Amino acid sequence: MLRESYTAIVERSQGLSHQFATEPYECGWASEAIFFVRTLETEGDIAGAILRVQISPDGIRWRDEGTSLTLTDDEVDFCKVRHFGNWLRVVGELPDGARMKAIIALSLKA
Amino acid sequence: MSDVEYHPSVQTRAVLNADPRLSKFDPLPRIIYHDDFNNGLRGWVELIGNYEDSLDSMLPEYADMRPPMLSSGTHWDTGTHGAMHGTYSLKLATRPRAGDISVSIKRVTWRHRGPIRLEAYFTFKPEASELQLAVNDVRAIGVLFDLQDDEYRWMPHWRYLNAMAGAPVRKWQFKRKREPLQTIGGRDETVSHFHLAPSGWEDVPNANQELCYNEIATKYNWYYLRMDLDLATRQITHLQCNDRIHDTTDVTPMMIPAMPNLYCMLNVAFWVETDIDKRAFLYVDSVLLSGAW
Repeated sequence: MLRESYTAIVERSQGLSHQFATEPYECGWASEAIFFVRTLETEGDIAGAILRVQISPDGIRWRDEGTSLTLTDDEVDFCKVRHFGNWLRVVGELPDGARMKAIIALSLKA
Repeated sequence: MSDVEYHPSVQTRAVLNADPRLSKFDPLPRIIYHDDFNNGLRGWVELIGNYEDSLDSMLPEYADMRPPMLSSGTHWDTGTHGAMHGTYSLKLATRPRAGDISVSIKRVTWRHRGPIRLEAYFTFKPEASELQLAVNDVRAIGVLFDLQDDEYRWMPHWRYLNAMAGAPVRKWQFKRKREPLQTIGGRDETVSHFHLAPSGWEDVPNANQELCYNEIATKYNWYYLRMDLDLATRQITHLQCNDRIHDTTDVTPMMIPAMPNLYCMLNVAFWVETDIDKRAFLYVDSVLLSGAW
């Protein structure tokens, strides 16, 4: 059986600043995931900012999973996660005065 | 060929009945696609607006229509609800912002300009984030076609307006009013129009229908939906949800002169809209598009 795969664009070119969280994404069918963050535009210094992967029992309540990614000066940053249950999201915080537009892609594989 | 005229042979019906995934449908002779979401998202994708050079050129209403998911219908109180058939359904989810809309679309083309029939089993619910009935939290769900032949782009729209501003409505509506085409970008190559705008909706005949919402947000009951069109006459020929069949005599689509690059287009889209600052979810267990040729 071919392994199912799907990439969801969970954030696309919305302005991100201060604290932010991607919308809950239900993906219990998948066993592995990569969050890709492609930076489109920035204001201020975002390098070094951290995005944390979160998991949830119900899509409503969230806890850090332990995986995180650190934004760099590269266009694309990513982190990998496995064994995550039924929902995934990332949360982040940018320094005061910093803003970014990004495409955050969640690449899933069964 | 309407539903009145097409009766499959005993042998054809027997073949359909032998497969539980198909026996709950009444397809026309050719199955164009049958999507059971236990087998992936099968070509259903987030709708995005047109753009040129920059995503910022998009009409703002189209900027964020949210990616579809494969849902097991899992809840904090009872765990996994599953789908009508199997575990997974197609799930559309809005952001938690009143008026937010999520739209998923599947894009094919037609090979014969004749009758087609869309059938689906679906349900909708608000996010179960409060211990309340929440029966008026989802504003609307709907289905639309985006079609084109040599003369016209035409767009049948059909929605169930569940509630508005916190008050129950429970009506099926259609929309023939066109929204203005707007030029996108600076090269004069691309236009866009937000056809799901809230104005211009009209009740279909015998519009009121109470659906089986059940009593809390984590109980799902699945509904049957059927929409027939005739691509030759550009008419909506049948609208049905469960046991309710609407007179379509005066139910007409949006009509637009044919546009470049869209010939033989046969797109189907589902959407859900929230009435309050809470996520609204539309679930589609399975969908079947069939045609007669």
